[in-house]
Amino acid sequence: MSIKLKALLKSPWVFHLSTGSCNNCDIEILDCLTPRFDIERFGMLLVGSIKHADVLLITGSGNRKSMERAKRLYEQIPKPCLVVAVGECALSRGMFIHSYNCPLPIDKVIPVDVYIPGCPPKPEAIIAGVVKLIEKVKKGTAKK
Amino acid sequence: MTPKEVLGDLRKKFKDDIVEILGERSKKVYIEIRPDSIVQVASYIFKDLKARFNTASGVDLRYHMEILYHFLIEDINLLISLRVKLQKPKLEIDSLVPVFEGANWIEREMHEILGINFKGHPDLKRLLLPDDWPEGVYPLRRDYKEWDKNAIRDRGV
Repeated sequence: MSIKLKALLKSPWVFHLSTGSCNNCDIEILDCLTPRFDIERFGMLLVGSIKHADVLLITGSGNRKSMERAKRLYEQIPKPCLVVAVGECALSRGMFIHSYNCPLPIDKVIPVDVYIPGCPPKPEAIIAGVVKLIEKVKKGTAKK
Repeated sequence: MTPKEVLGDLRKKFKDDIVEILGERSKKVYIEIRPDSIVQVASYIFKDLKARFNTASGVDLRYHMEILYHFLIEDINLLISLRVKLQKPKLEIDSLVPVFEGANWIEREMHEILGINFKGHPDLKRLLLPDDWPEGVYPLRRDYKEWDKNAIRDRGV
């Protein structure tokens, strides 16, 4: 494992991007930061700028206009980076699969490392997904 | 003024314009009017009855398009929905922007999504659709067909 990835795992800073979600996944993500679940003990922190982030966390069904912005953000994030898709919409667009505005799932546009299913996923599921992501990086099988 | 007086007043004033009034005894009244008298009726409700314009909504009902203009008279808590039926294929109606500015964006949205032409609108361009969306394709019409060849519509399982 390179020194960059080792430093990344010590404190993965997260940038949260909503590509047209209904806000339920976003609420659950904020729940993870509350004292009850407290993912800050793993060094995770929500940051306000993509240029400070190590992890891009995407929710929502990815509509035509927001995926342009998501692509631009992915180009700006410092590499190596990790991408996490949270919620059914980010995985396969959920109930919006036939919508005129959601032509492609997110992982056809941006390489995704971990998929966390659920509508919305519980904070426990999000933490379990993040633990799997960390294991994946340690094994060296993440897409980076 | 009570809701009853308001409706009696409207019925007397716009005898020829009103097709029917539904739900007269509740707080939510539907008034169907002829399409060419929308500006008269809406400006009377807005200016003289001091109603607030909430929003408008359009829907494609296979044989005609329907637009609902929702007005709320707050003093007497009466919600008036003006219903207009536009017969296909002539989808044209007078714009309400000269009467109140609040109709501007919702008319633009109805124009891009349903293809209704609002005559007299100052700037009838797209509101929400992306720039690469083809001209003349209206997504919420009943006869909308998939135009994007790259779209994937299965879950891959």
